[in-house]
Amino acid sequence: MSKYLDLSIKEIHELLVKEEITPLDLVDEALNRIEDTKDLNAFITINDKVREEAKNLGKVDKDNLFFGIPIAIKDNIITKNMRTTCASHILDNFIPIYDATVIKKIKEAKMLIIGKANMDEFAMGSTSETSYFGSPLNPHDKKRTAGGSSGGSAAIVSANIVPFALGSDTGGSIRQPASYTGIVGMKPTYGRISRYGLVAFASSLDQIGPMSRTVYENAALLNILVGEDDYDLTSANRVKEDFTRLIGEDIKNMKIALPKFFISDIVDKEISNKIKEVISYLKEKGAIVDIIDMKYLDTAVTLYQIIAMAEASSNLARFDGIRYGFREDNTKTVDEMYTKTRGEGFGDEVKRRIMVGSYILSGKNAKIYYDKALKVRDDITKEFARIFKDYDLIIGPTTTRVAPLLGTSKDDPHKAFMDDVLVIPVNMAGLPGLNVPIGKNSENMPIGLHIIGKAFDEALIYKLASFIEEGF
Amino acid sequence: MTNYVPTIGIEVHVEVKSKSKLFSNSANTYGMATNTDVNVIDLGYPGTLPTINKEIIKQGIRAAHILNCNITHKMHFDRKNYFYPDNPKNYQITQNRTPIGTNGYVEIEVDGIKKKIEIEEIHIEEDTCKSAHRGNVSLLDFNRAGVPLIEIVTKPCINNSKEATSYLTKLKELLFYANISDCKMEEGSMRCDANVSISKDNTLGVKTEIKNISSIHNVGLAILEEINRQKEILESGNTIKEETRRFDDKQNKTILMRVKETGNDYRYFIEPDIPYLELTDEFITDALKTLPLLPDELREKYKKIGLTPLQIEKIIANRALNSYFLGLLEYKTNYTIAINLLLSDIASYLNKHNKLITDTNLTYDKLVTVINSLESGELSNKNIKEIIPSLMETDKTLEQLKDEFNIKNITDNSFIKDIITKVIENNPDSVNDYKNGHDRAIKYLMGQVMKETKGSVNPKIANDLLIDTLNK
Amino acid sequence: MDKLSREEVLHVAHLARLSLTDEEIEKFRVQLKVLMNDIDKIKEVKDYDDEEMYTPVDTNARLREDVVGEMLNAKDAIANAPCKNGNFIEVPVMINE
Repeated sequence: MSKYLDLSIKEIHELLVKEEITPLDLVDEALNRIEDTKDLNAFITINDKVREEAKNLGKVDKDNLFFGIPIAIKDNIITKNMRTTCASHILDNFIPIYDATVIKKIKEAKMLIIGKANMDEFAMGSTSETSYFGSPLNPHDKKRTAGGSSGGSAAIVSANIVPFALGSDTGGSIRQPASYTGIVGMKPTYGRISRYGLVAFASSLDQIGPMSRTVYENAALLNILVGEDDYDLTSANRVKEDFTRLIGEDIKNMKIALPKFFISDIVDKEISNKIKEVISYLKEKGAIVDIIDMKYLDTAVTLYQIIAMAEASSNLARFDGIRYGFREDNTKTVDEMYTKTRGEGFGDEVKRRIMVGSYILSGKNAKIYYDKALKVRDDITKEFARIFKDYDLIIGPTTTRVAPLLGTSKDDPHKAFMDDVLVIPVNMAGLPGLNVPIGKNSENMPIGLHIIGKAFDEALIYKLASFIEEGF
Repeated sequence: MTNYVPTIGIEVHVEVKSKSKLFSNSANTYGMATNTDVNVIDLGYPGTLPTINKEIIKQGIRAAHILNCNITHKMHFDRKNYFYPDNPKNYQITQNRTPIGTNGYVEIEVDGIKKKIEIEEIHIEEDTCKSAHRGNVSLLDFNRAGVPLIEIVTKPCINNSKEATSYLTKLKELLFYANISDCKMEEGSMRCDANVSISKDNTLGVKTEIKNISSIHNVGLAILEEINRQKEILESGNTIKEETRRFDDKQNKTILMRVKETGNDYRYFIEPDIPYLELTDEFITDALKTLPLLPDELREKYKKIGLTPLQIEKIIANRALNSYFLGLLEYKTNYTIAINLLLSDIASYLNKHNKLITDTNLTYDKLVTVINSLESGELSNKNIKEIIPSLMETDKTLEQLKDEFNIKNITDNSFIKDIITKVIENNPDSVNDYKNGHDRAIKYLMGQVMKETKGSVNPKIANDLLIDTLNK
Repeated sequence: MDKLSREEVLHVAHLARLSLTDEEIEKFRVQLKVLMNDIDKIKEVKDYDDEEMYTPVDTNARLREDVVGEMLNAKDAIANAPCKNGNFIEVPVMINE
């Protein structure tokens, strides 16, 4: 059996240009791998037209690295004429009539969408176990979670079913599963990638990002995803840049901060030790690494809970069984239609969050909780800015522990948030953050390094990540 | 009966004129086929986001300006969360905390006394979809969803129904003239709610809200009836309940719709999909540049050129004709003749053919020659009636039309004198009556002159000549 | 154990328009309380900047030119609706008009 998909995309591209293989070969190989890894439960929907699309892709474009490369899309990103469920019963038959802006870009780059990746229902969760379609498994150990909420996307790339997946990250949902499955996952700066067509969970935090096997491939994919979008007022207007441009450069004199909180006793010893090894390596290579104090990091989860649940309660109000989605049969009144449709259509995690979110915004609570959270959030942003006056990048572990066993955090509403304690501050400040694998623990499970940059400084993150990927 | 003081506040919603909707680019129009004036944003599809129509912000600035409000320079939008089938996202995007205009007023005059009706605030928001009820189901048409609205809220400073109707008449005139809204209550492009309470002292009584009153006249009636109803309740020792009512004009009374839930819980919060909006002075100036002269400014102007109050009100009541008349003021001519001509023969021609004056071939130059000919007596009012259709529909000059319609030079005194002599000879009785001091005889004789000339002589000249001849 | 009353759960369930089974209500009495305790920690944050707050995104919103774009046909507009009636979408009768 062919193993083209094990090659780097540069190598695959060369074979395509030399016409030694066709996009259809890649797609067929990917479909075989999907079949072989069915037990991972990483996909919700397979694109049944993908072979057709591969055949009709036209002549290979030698300047387009992504021509004919298959990609998996997290199932909360809208794909025209392809079922988009958000891993929820309430949308399990929903066929969108438009494409998300990123999907348009993926199609313009002539990539092939192989299918829609499993996830936590409406991206709410940290283990992908809240999916209506059952949880995906971690390819490194099938008894363990692939993380969440982009667990399916992470499992797909980690098992090398296809080289790329798109995820979304509201409070760590790209970086944490990337860490648990040993792949590269980037949450770009808020506004870098258009959110138009990303089913909103928490509008002020959500951001789409690339998930890949290597740092270079991640940066290259980001190149084609970014850009201001007339359909998303929160998308940023930035000069076009090549995110791979600093890869390979030396890191001598690079100033790196490590906040104490990131190596406090909430972090597993083996992971802390691994981080310390990374620090030694970086120092050895001429970088300056300081352990620093940083305020508000410990409040980030609380802020996240308030902001994310409040916004979610409003964003998910539109799922009412009227214009699309599931509607409970034989309801006699408007109120019955709403409550039965939503009571039946949503799972527990979603129900909990939209109930608490409604409570947060109710009457005087809005001021006590939501408004205050926004203000403290502004202070976190300022605190990051203070650190970035003196440092180029901030690092720490991505997670406090390696991928936990499945079933350990189910029905514990608090735990779902604590898995993301180290990655959530980045969403609060809208900054870019990336997970790069830095080895494994004694149980042979991946450990990841979290690299945080200034707003719109993704290129520098990729530089350090690639340096570590190559040398550490 | 004890003296109660009524306190009334009025909320008005107007649909704002623009080409496209407020938060999406589908058409802002009326009367399209069911569910065809919609896109995925209007339908609240998952993943869609709002954009802001520049023209609506400008209309908001204009409305704030003409209602003497302070214009808010930095504003944002808020979400008002409530579930209802006509509300596609189950939240409405509105302005709760930073309305575009605050603290304005509209000056009215009731029974010769001027009063400023204070405006609390005006804000921009989106309209809901339309619903029709058929037995035990309702049918939804989303064409209206997302149509821009401006809501105008007065302070509770109105004391009787006359002030209320006078305020609404003035408000409608202003918004219509500024080209902000059609203000057609019958088509729902202007909707009124009135809050009414009564009290014997300075404390405010319990208020009721009368929703969606169908005409300004009915607002007056509804308020009168509601005041009476509340008086009767209080006089009989009962208390007013906070409730929503509607006005039935056939029964001439307000009818209970629902008792208010204690404090509507709209769970307002800042719309995270829209960044704040900061208006520059330049943008505001630019928006106000296109404001036409408003009714009170026109009244002042027209008074100066000698129009009668009746003429002034009549021309102001016809905005298209008014705007044409304003253009005519750039020409030196007899404006009294002009206004009479516009309000009589021209207006009835336009009405009959359902045309706007701008759709006709009546150029200002042509009109001025007509006015001058009327003034000099070369043309009679009867001639006008003959030539009006050709005047409006063709490019022919007045001279050409005179030839075509065989309009003689009826200022030829000898021609008129001949006819007068003939009339005097044929009506000796009337001549005697006149000489005996019966002034009415002159009218009869004039009538005969006009009959002989088929109305083609200038009546003023003919009248003068007739009296001259009789007095000889 | 620290938990909400039945009524408190039913109140927030009504705000979110969710019908709950008795079993769910019991479960959520505990679980929602856990989350409410979590968010209450915000009250302890003292040392913060209480300045005027606008939107979470700190940029000036772009404005769209007033031009009409593409619209859907009725068939597509209601394609995903579970309950149709001609070109309308149907719901149980809306009272409270």
